[in-house]
Amino acid sequence: MAEALISIRDLTVALPPGADRAHAVDGVSLDIPRNEILCIVGESGSGKSLTAHAVMGLLPRGVTASGGQILFGGADLLRQRPEAMRKLRGRDIAMIFQDPMAALNPVVNIGQQITEQIRAHRGIGEKEALQQAAGLLAEMGLKDTKSLLKSFPHQLSGGQRQRVMIAMALSLSPKLLVADEPTTALDVTTQAQILKLIKRIQSEREMSVLFITHDFGVVADMADRVAVMRQGRVVESGTTTEVLSNPTHSYTRALIAAVPTGECDLPPPPPDAVPLMAVTRLSKRFRRGGFFSGASAIAAVDNVSLTLSRGETLGIVGESGSGKSTLARCVIRLLDPDEGEILFDGADIARMGARGLRPLRRRIQMVFQDPFSSLNPRETVGDIIIAGPRAYGEDMREASRRAADIMRLVGLNPETMKRFPHEFSGGQRQRIGLARALMLKPDVLIADEPVSALDVTVQAQVLKLLDDVRQQMNLAMLFITHDMRVAAQVCHRVMVMRHGQVVESGPTREIFAAPSSDYTRALLAAIPGRGLLAAV
Amino acid sequence: MRDFLRVFFSRPISLIGLVIFAAIVVIALLAPFLFVRGPFTIVGMPLLPPGAPGLLAGSDVLGRDMVVGLAYGARISLLVGITSTLCALGIGMLLGAVAGYYGGWLDDLLMRVTEFFQIIPSFVLLMVLVAFLQPSLSSTVIGIALVTWPQVARVVRGEFLSLRSREFVQAARTLGMGDARIIVTQILPNALPPIIVVSSMMVGSAILTESALSFLGLGDPNLLSWGSMIGGSRSAMWVAWWTTVLPGVAIMLTVLALNFIGDGLNDALNPRRRR
Repeated sequence: MAEALISIRDLTVALPPGADRAHAVDGVSLDIPRNEILCIVGESGSGKSLTAHAVMGLLPRGVTASGGQILFGGADLLRQRPEAMRKLRGRDIAMIFQDPMAALNPVVNIGQQITEQIRAHRGIGEKEALQQAAGLLAEMGLKDTKSLLKSFPHQLSGGQRQRVMIAMALSLSPKLLVADEPTTALDVTTQAQILKLIKRIQSEREMSVLFITHDFGVVADMADRVAVMRQGRVVESGTTTEVLSNPTHSYTRALIAAVPTGECDLPPPPPDAVPLMAVTRLSKRFRRGGFFSGASAIAAVDNVSLTLSRGETLGIVGESGSGKSTLARCVIRLLDPDEGEILFDGADIARMGARGLRPLRRRIQMVFQDPFSSLNPRETVGDIIIAGPRAYGEDMREASRRAADIMRLVGLNPETMKRFPHEFSGGQRQRIGLARALMLKPDVLIADEPVSALDVTVQAQVLKLLDDVRQQMNLAMLFITHDMRVAAQVCHRVMVMRHGQVVESGPTREIFAAPSSDYTRALLAAIPGRGLLAAV
Repeated sequence: MRDFLRVFFSRPISLIGLVIFAAIVVIALLAPFLFVRGPFTIVGMPLLPPGAPGLLAGSDVLGRDMVVGLAYGARISLLVGITSTLCALGIGMLLGAVAGYYGGWLDDLLMRVTEFFQIIPSFVLLMVLVAFLQPSLSSTVIGIALVTWPQVARVVRGEFLSLRSREFVQAARTLGMGDARIIVTQILPNALPPIIVVSSMMVGSAILTESALSFLGLGDPNLLSWGSMIGGSRSAMWVAWWTTVLPGVAIMLTVLALNFIGDGLNDALNPRRRR
């Protein structure tokens, strides 16, 4: 093993009194080797992020490192004065974050944001700093750096923003880059590009990377060494090949097993004679601009047709901006489609008015992406779940009784009905969202990226639940995702979308075995850790 | 709720505000029982200084007891402040909610109407309205409500605009809830914190506005308010300071207390300040 750049010794981070446990990080010892990538992997709440923040000296208020040392070049970072730490950050240790949109200042252009740090530390002129910034952006694989320097964060795509963040982090040639789940908010294809970029930069610049992730697929692609954390402790560590091929701790084995390999073993369902829902040539355009600027229309969904039968799951796969969510929102009539028809049980609901739609609404239900914004924070879970039946005039007592059954069905304790959403974890909230949808006994369930905000282990549980529920209630499910390996787990058929159009569609197994378009092949290739994990 | 109270009372300033305001409310409520003869009864020589026998705060230009005047004035000031704010809240919340929830041309139309009220100098509009309607308690309340509702409408519209695209509102639509039900049960509870804060401050500014109207003689001539006390005594300002300063201090204390309370509410209702 290479000599350590940073040694973490018995690091203990105390949580404020009243938290669920006394220590977020409990006696962690780790070496961050020179010129290597160390991955810390674990579920949310495992203390992996706080360990990284402690190295940066950026622990949140109320949380303090109560014991241990972080040794860097002979000095203990935990006992540095704030000014000394400030000089260190950026120059020796830099960090990139999960959400580049939140980490960039929305009202300052990219050029100024990058050069600010260079100028603050190096004291060079603006022109020279801008030149360096352009060079950095080019190194990140970004084209047209000149106009990029003048643009603002909202004008860039998620992948571009993360590249800009990395450029900023690298602007002072730090010895260590701390990456805290830098790809979790990105598409699978963009994620693959960013991972490749970080790996390339690491070997070119011969620096160390501390990479935080919850996804063993990413670990397999990235890490030289890996440390598995659980409840504030390191349960296992070693080189990546060691840990992947011979995991000693049961938790590590569970984490590895939770990563879908992208192998599809669901049989295609028997073709139904009459599909429950048939969408034909559906289009939806969004108009941009207004009174003064010329209006232009963007086709978010362009001439899309699909069928959906009882008991089957159709996956709609594509990157963000491919129109898959718009399609789902048209099908459930949260949006009004411009053209085409949606035949549901023999009736065209594409242009149906609110009154005609109302009795049909309860038969098409939806599970939303964001477990935080999809539940009303001011209502109790019980009220959220019985809201649907109440809207259709169902008796309060009857609805409450059914709500308890449904909560048991989705794996929640009915006694928690009086609690508010913020008292639940992300996975539990998705279960609440599913319970709300199931209360109306729907025929069609639309799941819009239901697991993309969840940890890999929780993802597996929620996906299994969705599949069980589909079987039990004989639902037709429309499953929207950007992640091919998730689609492989639950979808009988998939439809790949790009720029609002269908690229290809067919039984999942066939598409995975023999994709006919380059785009699908790229999506499949982007699955993190595909080759490595499958070999294990 | 417990968190809310803890944060609210953790700032001494909001506690001070609440105590002052509560004291003023108690005085206003008790005035008719403590001073049965009413504020217009002449009790002695005019312009007696505070501390004169039986006159804690002196007497005004007509020889009326200042203490009684201040107590009865509190009734009018609070009544006008609270009722006009409630009226403004009613109009503003209705229009703001409709504009923010439905968007589109309805939003454009309602916001242009709102701006129409905002670009007219509000005090001038108010004076014209009150003069036109004949000065009385109800015309003052209606006038103040008419010039202050745009503020509420703006806040409510902004909240609705951001909340209506949240997934839980979309979920409510897919559950088949009607628009009215979604507005009242889903969005409104989430939009309440800023509305409460704005309205606590609006009560303060309505009291100020009422005082200004009364000072100009546009208040209800049959009622004594703090503004009309100052207006009626301004000729004696240089010889008997207490006739103008005391009601002025009363106005200042009330408005200050309401602003303190508003600040405290702002912190206590902000989920980020809670822990």
